[in-house]
Amino acid sequence: MFSYVMRRLGVSLLVLLGASFLVYMLVAVSGDPLAEFRESTKANKDQLIAQRVELLHLDVPAPVRYFIWLGGAVKCVIPGQCDLGSTLAGQPVTTALSTAIPSTLQLVTGATLIAIVVGVAVGIVTALRQYSALDYTVTFVAFLFFSLPVFWVAVLLKEFGAIRFNDFLAHPVISGTAIAAVGVVSALVWPLLLGGSWRRRGITALVAGAVGAGVLYYLGVSEWFLYPGLGPVLVALTGAGIAIGITALLAGLQNRQALYASLTTVVLALIAMYALAPLLEQATLWLIVLLGLAAIGAGVLAGYLFGGYDRRQSMKAAGLTSFLVAGLVLLDRFMQSWPAYVVATRGRPIATIGSQTPNLNGDFWTSGLDFFTHLVLPTTALVLISVASYTRYSRASMLEVMGQDYVRTARAKGLSERVVVTRHAFRNALIPLATVVAFDIGQLLGGAVITENVFSFKGMGALFVTGLTRQDPNPVMGTFLIVGITAVTFNLLADLAYSALDPRVRVKA
Amino acid sequence: MKIRRIGAGLAVLAAGTLVLSACSNKPAASPTTSAAATGGTVTVAETNSFSSFNPNTSNGNTDINSKVISYPTRSWFNYTDGSSFAAGNPKVIKDTSFGTYKVDSEDPLVVTYTVNDGVKWSDGEPVDANDLVFSWAVDSGHYNSKDGKVTYFDYAGDTGTLGLTSFPKIGDDGRSITLTYSKPAADWEIALSAEEPAHIVAKNSGLADAKALTDLLKSLADSAPTATAADPKLEAVATFWNTGYDSTTLPSNPDLYVSSGPYIVSNVVENQSVTLVPNKAYVGDNKPKLDSIIMRTIPDSTAAVQALKNGEVDVISPQADADTLTALKAVSNATLHQGDQLAYDHVDLTFNNGGPFDAKTYGGDEAKALKVRQAFLKTIPRQAILDAIVTPLKSDAAVLNSQLFVPAQAAYTDSAKANGSDKYPAEPDVAGAKALLAEAGVTSPTVRILYNIKNPNRVNAYTLIAKSATDAGFTVVDNGDAAWGKRLGDGSYDASIFGWINPGIGVSGVPQIFSSTGGGNYNGYSNPKVDALTSQLIVTLDPAKQVDIEKQIDPFPFADAYGLPLFQSVGIDAVSDRVAGIDVYNPNQAGVWWNVWQWSVKG
Repeated sequence: MFSYVMRRLGVSLLVLLGASFLVYMLVAVSGDPLAEFRESTKANKDQLIAQRVELLHLDVPAPVRYFIWLGGAVKCVIPGQCDLGSTLAGQPVTTALSTAIPSTLQLVTGATLIAIVVGVAVGIVTALRQYSALDYTVTFVAFLFFSLPVFWVAVLLKEFGAIRFNDFLAHPVISGTAIAAVGVVSALVWPLLLGGSWRRRGITALVAGAVGAGVLYYLGVSEWFLYPGLGPVLVALTGAGIAIGITALLAGLQNRQALYASLTTVVLALIAMYALAPLLEQATLWLIVLLGLAAIGAGVLAGYLFGGYDRRQSMKAAGLTSFLVAGLVLLDRFMQSWPAYVVATRGRPIATIGSQTPNLNGDFWTSGLDFFTHLVLPTTALVLISVASYTRYSRASMLEVMGQDYVRTARAKGLSERVVVTRHAFRNALIPLATVVAFDIGQLLGGAVITENVFSFKGMGALFVTGLTRQDPNPVMGTFLIVGITAVTFNLLADLAYSALDPRVRVKA
Repeated sequence: MKIRRIGAGLAVLAAGTLVLSACSNKPAASPTTSAAATGGTVTVAETNSFSSFNPNTSNGNTDINSKVISYPTRSWFNYTDGSSFAAGNPKVIKDTSFGTYKVDSEDPLVVTYTVNDGVKWSDGEPVDANDLVFSWAVDSGHYNSKDGKVTYFDYAGDTGTLGLTSFPKIGDDGRSITLTYSKPAADWEIALSAEEPAHIVAKNSGLADAKALTDLLKSLADSAPTATAADPKLEAVATFWNTGYDSTTLPSNPDLYVSSGPYIVSNVVENQSVTLVPNKAYVGDNKPKLDSIIMRTIPDSTAAVQALKNGEVDVISPQADADTLTALKAVSNATLHQGDQLAYDHVDLTFNNGGPFDAKTYGGDEAKALKVRQAFLKTIPRQAILDAIVTPLKSDAAVLNSQLFVPAQAAYTDSAKANGSDKYPAEPDVAGAKALLAEAGVTSPTVRILYNIKNPNRVNAYTLIAKSATDAGFTVVDNGDAAWGKRLGDGSYDASIFGWINPGIGVSGVPQIFSSTGGGNYNGYSNPKVDALTSQLIVTLDPAKQVDIEKQIDPFPFADAYGLPLFQSVGIDAVSDRVAGIDVYNPNQAGVWWNVWQWSVKG
């Protein structure tokens, strides 16, 4: 095992060296670092060219320049000695990287997590309903988004998600056409999700259409979009729904202790919603994290106290329910700050560029909303285009597992379908996904070049592209180094994780 | 996984309608509109990110640094009038509320600069002769040794003009300096420009005060041009000036953003935005009207247009292309300004590479070479090129008919009539070209054309020229190259298509291109009459006489079949209707920022 890891690391180092040389050469031949001066009629043109030549060592051939760069880069193994050169503007590349990495993580982490959760969930569901209308619809939609170019999706999202939505907020009157359209969509989607006999589908379509249109009409007349909120009733009802759903998935509804424990946490959350209101006025990020942990703790405790024949199931279900309902309470609190935020942004809350409104200086809730309104469009764009691959992988993997002998055996010995799916099939279906997910996490730092550009995020992708267009090799090499190292590391981790998860695979020393 | 029961699902949906009655946070009474009317905020989108508080070093010399620092936070004796380009008369405006300058004598040229009493930096220190001396020290390049062994200030501007002066005489009032030129310099009025405050540079490089810096500069003034080793004290000053101001965030040292202009930097979010607020110590006439100005970095044109549409930014200056223009025209709440850039595309023929346009090829027969050059130029379909590239952006665009003037200048119309450009009409004259080739007795000469293969406009121009020239009997060889810039002047091509960027104000660019020894003379053009005129031009002080000389130079490139100007590029900006004070497109480096103090928010 140890020698295997060492060998892999050694090979990776050679790969990195070779690749960095190749990238450096490609950057060097990709254009003319002096292009910006060539067309100038400035009297001091020769002097400017000489300065640039000296700065970038253009008087020596590119392969030699690579070794000058490498000489600084190898010092990075000594802490505090790292020298990756400077950008043309004179900023050290290490500093540029240290601000680009958080910016990229901010943009890409949420999107990747959502894409994984949604993609896997949808993949599993479509596998369980193979060749149903739902399966075909999801496949079609997933591939449709997968094949759309992100810059185009971004333009559409900005036009409809930001510009038109903000225009709508200025005059929040929902037209009859919009209400009818939502009713029709709702009438089409719900039967697809719920399934059943044709008669049942018909009834579902009618009711769902009427309810969808009604809800939208009500939201319009109550100016909900200007003054949104959940209120205790909606928190209680949604919370109860969550409690039932989570219990059904994790423990089965026949496990009454688990169900009661989960429902208890909903009641606790409602009490906390009012009891903690004064404290939440001065909220900080750490307080919220702490409260989130407290919510999980309270849920686990409730599950423990209710006990029953399988305490662990109750604790799990109640803990998760508690966490999710606490999230609802948090959402409601954020919504209460929405009107103030709308005023602070001159009535146009959803942003199309950047990661924050300059000089907002709001409290935790306002700046939290600001963070959200800036991330919602780029995250949506990234999720739409990346969710397809996850649904495909997890669907295929789930289908394969469901056909295995041990699943048939589990059914034969009388286990409920819930236990067969969640315990026997789902866990094993996730094993191949570990590899894909590890790769994608490794690529997180690479940033999303086009997305960063169209949404004006200044992350790794922007650093790379700006460096390339200005013929500035140092930032390009800096980003390459970080991305290369994470890719190599996570590939190795993926292989090791695979052997840890699947006893049939063993790492040979 | 039949977990969902249809009934449960429907029940939840039905319950939802009842529940919603309690879920809106609408306040009982609408909030009272607070706060008195204020100056408001204007947000400007720019392409690049802010990187330095000193826009005059070669590191910091990007458009964005000078937009944010030079215009809002530096007062000076004069500034370029950004609206004068559209008015046809590029000029500088004097700001007499900062100070005055006058020519004491024309031969020798002596200029005295005097800062008004009471003009202050934002930290309360007066702006005085020490600041002017430091500006001179940087802008003149005086302290760099002649042999290049010692260099101090890494100045990105042109030191040629102030390089003709010696250490200034400091006035008795301590607010004025007098510069004496060793010979007349045409661009004297724009040579001295605002630099960083002397007292800050002194303090941060280990000197006692601004006076100590002036004394140091004075003591080294005579020895510097021949020095062989750097003076450690001045080197500390230069190092601070060169790199101390580079910062992508708001520095913890407030010295670095001290301002003498109407605004001062108050916040910088790395790579994203810079905020300017009014400078309370400002006493001049260009009083700020806004509460704050925010510069936001948006590299992508489409993103900038959508941000304007969404009200996140109020002013954008994107790259002009047909798609951006269409998108901008659809934005209802903004005004679009279109204008000509200072950049123009042109075709140059190579005179000195033994190719078809070089007299040497014909045994020194200049007349024969001239006929071949004229024949080639006659085939260039300038109207077709214009229609393909510029007309979609600007419907009234016209072919450029002068190498020295652009239509924005008043002298253009006269000069274009008289400079012989009518010999090369916008429509190609293939028959005329064939006749000239026959007269010269040259059959199907081979012409290698160099252009930037990555620039679609140049590719378009090449394609049209190549077709027309082939019709006239030339053999055209495609020398399109991504690394075209490296090949300029190496003789490996016979004709080139690229662009010049005219600085707008000043005449020192003219000898760069047309004199035999100019740094931008890539095609070996040499005409003693032009050399004489250009050297006369740069020592002429009277702007009217400068124009006269330029008019005399203008016919030579056409008579010698130097090449042809093609067209001026189109520039655009768009301004939200809530902003007042930005009325015309400004083609120079300042962009919309040149009159930042006149911006205001309507209503």
